[in-house]
Amino acid sequence: MGQSGQPPEAPAAPPEAAGFRINEDWAATAVGLILIGLVLAGVIVKGMIP
Amino acid sequence: MSQAEAIGAVPQAVEEEGAARWGWAAASLVLLLALGGLVRFLEANVPVWLAEVNWIKSVEFPIYAIAVGLVAGAVLGALGLRERLGVAFRTEFLIKTGLVLLGASINLAIIARAAGPAIVQSIILITTVFLVAWWVGGRLGLNPKLRALLAAAVSICGVSAAIAAAGAVSASKEQLAYVASLVIIFALPSIFIVPWLATTLGLDTVVAGAWIGGNIDTTAAVTAAGSIIGDEALQIAAIVKQTQNAMMGVVAVLLTAYFVLRVERVPGASVGLGAIWERFPKFVLGFIAASAIATIYINSAVDPKTAGDIVAVAGNSLRTWFFILAFVCIGLEFRPAALREAGTRPVAVFAVATAVNLVLAFALATLLFSGFELA
Repeated sequence: MGQSGQPPEAPAAPPEAAGFRINEDWAATAVGLILIGLVLAGVIVKGMIP
Repeated sequence: MSQAEAIGAVPQAVEEEGAARWGWAAASLVLLLALGGLVRFLEANVPVWLAEVNWIKSVEFPIYAIAVGLVAGAVLGALGLRERLGVAFRTEFLIKTGLVLLGASINLAIIARAAGPAIVQSIILITTVFLVAWWVGGRLGLNPKLRALLAAAVSICGVSAAIAAAGAVSASKEQLAYVASLVIIFALPSIFIVPWLATTLGLDTVVAGAWIGGNIDTTAAVTAAGSIIGDEALQIAAIVKQTQNAMMGVVAVLLTAYFVLRVERVPGASVGLGAIWERFPKFVLGFIAASAIATIYINSAVDPKTAGDIVAVAGNSLRTWFFILAFVCIGLEFRPAALREAGTRPVAVFAVATAVNLVLAFALATLLFSGFELA
């Protein structure tokens, strides 16, 4: 970054970044819902969480 | 080495490299969990050790988590281990999973009732703050792509919006990294300043939550700031922030259309609506699904109180752990060097837009969420 405040331009990377973001969204959704399912099924109980 | 040995050595080297990578990933996860445990330990014991200091009791877990992350990040940086041990430092994934779990602690009816004012607030805020940032960036002579990234980041949801905008306008890696650094630099102090302002002004927790959700850029920082005030503020802040997140796809499509048709003037180009779904933050669906599942579970239980206690294991206990780990990661990933590398003009754009966001979000939160009942 120079004094001009204009970062130099280079080949763009956003497609990979956007793709990763979507995978991460679904992963977070799946992990969250699975954990809720395990709690409601009684597999994870309060005493197991420090 | 014979040719046969050389051929055999390649897979072995790849295997060793893979094993080393898994080793670092495991070490990274263990380190993160240990730091999370340290946060829990400090949260429980610091108020006991410093019992004579009154204000220490009001220090919530996000502050311990970020402080622990900052110290650990500085140590790892000094030892040159930050990159190798950074595999498990996934702030975005942890915060999104925590938000899905938070959904289980919010009745679906509250989300439905809050959606109306949250959408109105988000549309006004995103439009105004985006245009202010875009205009100031233009006055200061910034590159249009950088202006688009800055405006999207400051008006919608920080780094995620900058990534979406970078895809929409084909910005460079350097521009994206630069804006992401600015987002973090502005978000970190706001985690502490906005809750302090809300408390000092004596704001109702719901209004404070709506202000935090509308004003602070990154979802992780919104969650940290909301948690500092309390659960009610956190719930409203999360709903407002996720409403803004959900609008990211629309802004990305409008930006794509503007750059393709007006800035770059690509002949015969068209912009498909499929991009809205492509850029829609899918974890918002998980948040709503979690709320629906928990609401149905509690409402259909013979003993709703016991059912509520069971749901709280996911909606409170597990969620708090994911948030602690995410906040530790905020501290771990903070790089002050990025500020030194920054030029002054983009910082000025971000500062002006943040100030406008702060004032406008305060006015809208007061107007739209005063008298909103959570129960």
